[in-house]
Amino acid sequence: MAGLLTTAGPAITTLAQRSEKAEQELSAATKDAIPVTLHVNGQKHNLRIDPRTTLLDCLREHLHLTGSKKGCDHGQCGACTVHVNGRRMNSCLCLAAMYQGDEITTIEGVGQPGNLHPIQEAFVAHDAYQCGYCTCGQIMSAVALLSEPVGPEDAEVKEFMSGNICRCGAYQNIVEAIQSVRQSTNRQKAG
Amino acid sequence: MPTITETATTSPIGRQTPRIDGPFKVSGTAMYASDFNFTGLLFAVPVEATIANGKLQKLDASEAEKMPGVRAIFHRANIGKIFRSVLQPPNSGIADERRPPLADDVIRYYGQYVAIAVADTFEAAKAAADAVRATYTKDKPNVNLDLQPESEPEAVETTHGRLKRLQSERGDPDKAFASAQVKVDQTYVTPAETHNPIELQGTIAMWDGQMLTIYEESQAVFNLRSVLAQMFGLPKENVRVITKFVGSGFGSKLWPWTHCALACAAARQLGKPVKLVLSRRMMFQSVGHRPRTQQRVRLGATNEGKLVSLMQDYLNDLDILGGYHENCGESTSYFYSVPNLRVHWGRTRRNIASPTPMRGPGAVPGLFATESAMNELADQLKIDPVRLRELNEPKIDEGKGIPFSSRHYLECLQRGGERFGWANRNAEVGSMKRDGSILGWGMSGAAWIAGRFPAQASVELRDDGSARVACGTQDIGTGTYTILAQLVSDKTGVPLNKIEVVLGDTSLPPGPISGGSLVTGSIVPAVFDAADNAITSLLTVATTEPGSPFGNRTPDDLAFEAGRVFAKADGLAKGVSVSDLLRRTNMRLVTGSGKSEGTLDEKKPKVSMHSYCCHFVEVTWQPATARLHVNRVVTVIDGGRIINPLAGRNQIEGAVVMGVGMALLEHTIYDPQNGAPINSNLADYLMAVNADAPLMEVHFLDYPDTDVNPLGARGIGEIGLAGVAAAITAATYHATGVRVRELPIRIEDLLTSSILA
Amino acid sequence: MKIFELTRADDPRQAIAAAAKANTAQQGADIRFIAGGTNLVDYMKLNVETPRQLVDVNHLPFDKIEALPDGGLSIGAVVRNSDLAYHPIVRKNYAVLSEALLSGASPQLRNMATTAGNLLQRTRCMYFRDTAMPCNKREPGSGCAAITGVNRGLAILGTSEHCIASNPSDMNVALAALEATIHISGPKGERSVTIGDFHLLPGNTPNRETVLEPGDLITHVTLPPPSPGNRSLYLKLRDRASFEFALASAAVVITADGGKITRARVALGGVGTKPWRSMEAEGELTGQSATQAVFQKAAEAALRDAKPQSQNGFKVELAKRCLVHALKLVTQTA
Repeated sequence: MAGLLTTAGPAITTLAQRSEKAEQELSAATKDAIPVTLHVNGQKHNLRIDPRTTLLDCLREHLHLTGSKKGCDHGQCGACTVHVNGRRMNSCLCLAAMYQGDEITTIEGVGQPGNLHPIQEAFVAHDAYQCGYCTCGQIMSAVALLSEPVGPEDAEVKEFMSGNICRCGAYQNIVEAIQSVRQSTNRQKAG
Repeated sequence: MPTITETATTSPIGRQTPRIDGPFKVSGTAMYASDFNFTGLLFAVPVEATIANGKLQKLDASEAEKMPGVRAIFHRANIGKIFRSVLQPPNSGIADERRPPLADDVIRYYGQYVAIAVADTFEAAKAAADAVRATYTKDKPNVNLDLQPESEPEAVETTHGRLKRLQSERGDPDKAFASAQVKVDQTYVTPAETHNPIELQGTIAMWDGQMLTIYEESQAVFNLRSVLAQMFGLPKENVRVITKFVGSGFGSKLWPWTHCALACAAARQLGKPVKLVLSRRMMFQSVGHRPRTQQRVRLGATNEGKLVSLMQDYLNDLDILGGYHENCGESTSYFYSVPNLRVHWGRTRRNIASPTPMRGPGAVPGLFATESAMNELADQLKIDPVRLRELNEPKIDEGKGIPFSSRHYLECLQRGGERFGWANRNAEVGSMKRDGSILGWGMSGAAWIAGRFPAQASVELRDDGSARVACGTQDIGTGTYTILAQLVSDKTGVPLNKIEVVLGDTSLPPGPISGGSLVTGSIVPAVFDAADNAITSLLTVATTEPGSPFGNRTPDDLAFEAGRVFAKADGLAKGVSVSDLLRRTNMRLVTGSGKSEGTLDEKKPKVSMHSYCCHFVEVTWQPATARLHVNRVVTVIDGGRIINPLAGRNQIEGAVVMGVGMALLEHTIYDPQNGAPINSNLADYLMAVNADAPLMEVHFLDYPDTDVNPLGARGIGEIGLAGVAAAITAATYHATGVRVRELPIRIEDLLTSSILA
Repeated sequence: MKIFELTRADDPRQAIAAAAKANTAQQGADIRFIAGGTNLVDYMKLNVETPRQLVDVNHLPFDKIEALPDGGLSIGAVVRNSDLAYHPIVRKNYAVLSEALLSGASPQLRNMATTAGNLLQRTRCMYFRDTAMPCNKREPGSGCAAITGVNRGLAILGTSEHCIASNPSDMNVALAALEATIHISGPKGERSVTIGDFHLLPGNTPNRETVLEPGDLITHVTLPPPSPGNRSLYLKLRDRASFEFALASAAVVITADGGKITRARVALGGVGTKPWRSMEAEGELTGQSATQAVFQKAAEAALRDAKPQSQNGFKVELAKRCLVHALKLVTQTA
């Protein structure tokens, strides 16, 4: 891990995150709330949520897993990409209550600083981002892509990464990062 | 004086440096404004006007107020006082839309907020906002695409002060044009474009008595603070703005927008923290856009290709109330040598929301026009467009009559041409082919301002061998976190992984806005000054504090190098490390503050400071499917010394990708019937996806510009976008014979090509 | 989004019984089946769809792709687009379908979207999506803002004075060329409808898009056996290189014998108010040699009845080029 940079200033940490109890009281405030059980990153969560809650909003606002981002809320940018049973999906178009019993993986379950997934490491090494906002979605797509039937050429990777818009335009580095991991995986397989 | 030696061998300046914030960005632990969450947080969703011109007649919130989980529906009658902000350019109080939200019932653009719903959950707030019934008196909106100048006086008020519409003039351009041997007289149009950072804009606002704290993805935290202090009648010390990570902005997050004040007012009324995040549709309506421009360019030249006259008359549209000026003439007066020149502008008001700077404001649409005209002139003269530019290279800034600080544009052209293989170009339209496709080659140049904003910073050296650098600027994806660490490491010898960088907070020393590509150039002297002062403080500690091994020395006897303090007489090997010294003196840290002045407000600058670049572009044209693809781009940048070439190359590539979108895809469409930006989503407003990105090659000339700062570093955030579109339209003409003067290039334009195979 | 009750169907009869109570199975249905949600949730967020009840059909046993005894293929209603696109039988026998699916949307959306959902995909017309605008499809009788507004992406074939919305699906175009049959289970029993009859032209009732009635549940789609020796191909043209709906597309299934076309199936996308099978083009091709002139004649025939709007006249030429090029490519490989 490179750098001691803090993500939150001292004043932020004094403001407590919403407690589990406050969370439940809040959810109950909406009379239409329904009980929902979700399995996220290997953990089971029992929640009461509004049935309108998308998987994305549920992850962000109820489970505080904020690595999945909202960029368009209509399946048009890919920033919200998560894995459901190992397949990448746009969590903004999923109603959370329909995904009970499914294994949901978010970026937080892929790797954390100090224990990054090879794709995450490659994104850092190849500078495959700028602002970082679409990055978690890009990585969720890239990790899924490793086990999809995608040909070896850059052009194939570009096509299969086209559901993730990077407005900063770090596309060339994103492709380099993904290809570096695919090539080293292939080398390992061959070796 | 103590000697402070830079340790060249270990300095990370100029080294390919992975971002220090990278591990946070790739793991979802980097906290963007809307990621924060607080006890009792409420959710707000604004209600958008569904007309673009008229009056709000009636607002019925009765149904919405009764919905479960709803806390309040705020509108003009119950939002409480929101003051009008005071415009104080250049450095504070700036907003493009200064009318406080809900200030009156007049609707001047589609999507103007008329109310705001607050509820326990996002779902409830959204449903409540949708249930608010607004009735309007509707007038026909004016979103006419044909721009005609308003009758404005020759000097007009703008967001950035009073400006003359006659921007630059020399010689007798009309006469020289009339008698020129070769002429180009064309009008170029660039459409409204929307920034569309992927991070939606939003605010979390919370009050503690008279203290207002907000989390907002701002490109200028100090300006936002001053605007909010004015709008809520607070001393600015009572307002704190926090922006840890910004999901980019491209200008849309430079100046505050009305949603921010709405969130603050709602939080004040309810006494609870409020989170308001815009929808993507709102991002097209009320947080700025690049305005439509219409530019007539006239070039007169000799048969040999020497420019004799250059005239640019440009217009941009803007909102009903605002003062935005799109400075399309920024680079016109100095980019080429021409004895007779005039740049003049006007504006046209429309029922649209305020424009705002978008990446390379002014220069990007401006250079599309002037560089396109240069390419047309080269084609008329039948000379190479690179040669045409060489023939008109100026020796000094002819607009200001001062020398350039560091201009290597000709070398850009030469290097770019070599890397691209430009010498193999056959200028005949449709003549170059490969694998069944027709190739088109085109090029363009560009320039962008350089200089400094005022900046302050502080540097701490600590007893564990780490350092901390703090500056109230922002990292909007530009790599500022890493650059700050590189600068401190260079000065102190502390390795990058032991440097804590803190930015994006108005409790820190005031830093520059993330605009104009000026952050890097601005912070270098301030951070160096702060680091030098920290080291000076350290040497004072070494000579004065009990426990120090240098108690019998004076600061002048000592030196600092590679993180160690030593007596000059004894040499570095006998020195002690910072952490050793601080531990021995029982001190946690020493601090130094630094500051530097801005250059942009200098009344009489001595040198003309700019960055330069050129792009060489290859497109492929497949007539059978009317498919045009930008295949390959070579870009050469004269951007001063590059501090982090890894992030630098990326930033230029990203700008080129945005240029591909500008040339071929992007276009905000205002519905002629109701004035709505009708393609207000990411499926209908097309931005380049990965498959659209060409193969890109970026070269930096790396000439330090020490007039800007001691390192010679200029910013490079915007220069890479300027000129791309003109190079693509030139390449498109070369392939298809179709000359596109209004962006974006569309399939319907290309279908008129007679180049069929 | 309006509040709704989320229910889950564990067998088809439950689902049919629940949905049979709906006011309609068309625009404005108060009870909706939901599977992938890529289209419905999108439109619910825009308040274009405001069902009071959703019936989750993801758990119904319609997730299989099975070879049929006659050599054809049965595709379950909730088979995901990506699974269908990569299925070995589809790749081998129905390449046009695989290519159409993979040209659509993004990998994420293809992992969610289902066969039945894609059949029912709604238009991308910007005025249909905006409840502040008039739209006869969304709100019958309110008018069509597209005819007088922004219509560059909309239909030129099958339009009416009330609606020019284009059908955005790629899959449907391939299914039209493959002569698919849609199998429906409803309150009155089971029935089958050909793809050509499944979607309705807008006419005076653009709010009615398909033949479905309340309670009708699509169970599966069948494809006839591939015609021996055929070659098929999907070609899609658009502004962006990927992740965009078609401006024009062509699905072609051609059988040729010694340079002579013996059987042709042609459908166009991006230009019609429904997936646009062109028997006119097929007629021009059948029995003819595979030459540019014949392809051009077929393209002229396919677009003969095109009615361009103020901004989409270019689609006539673009669709012709698309079809001609698709025919050229598919017969080159034959």
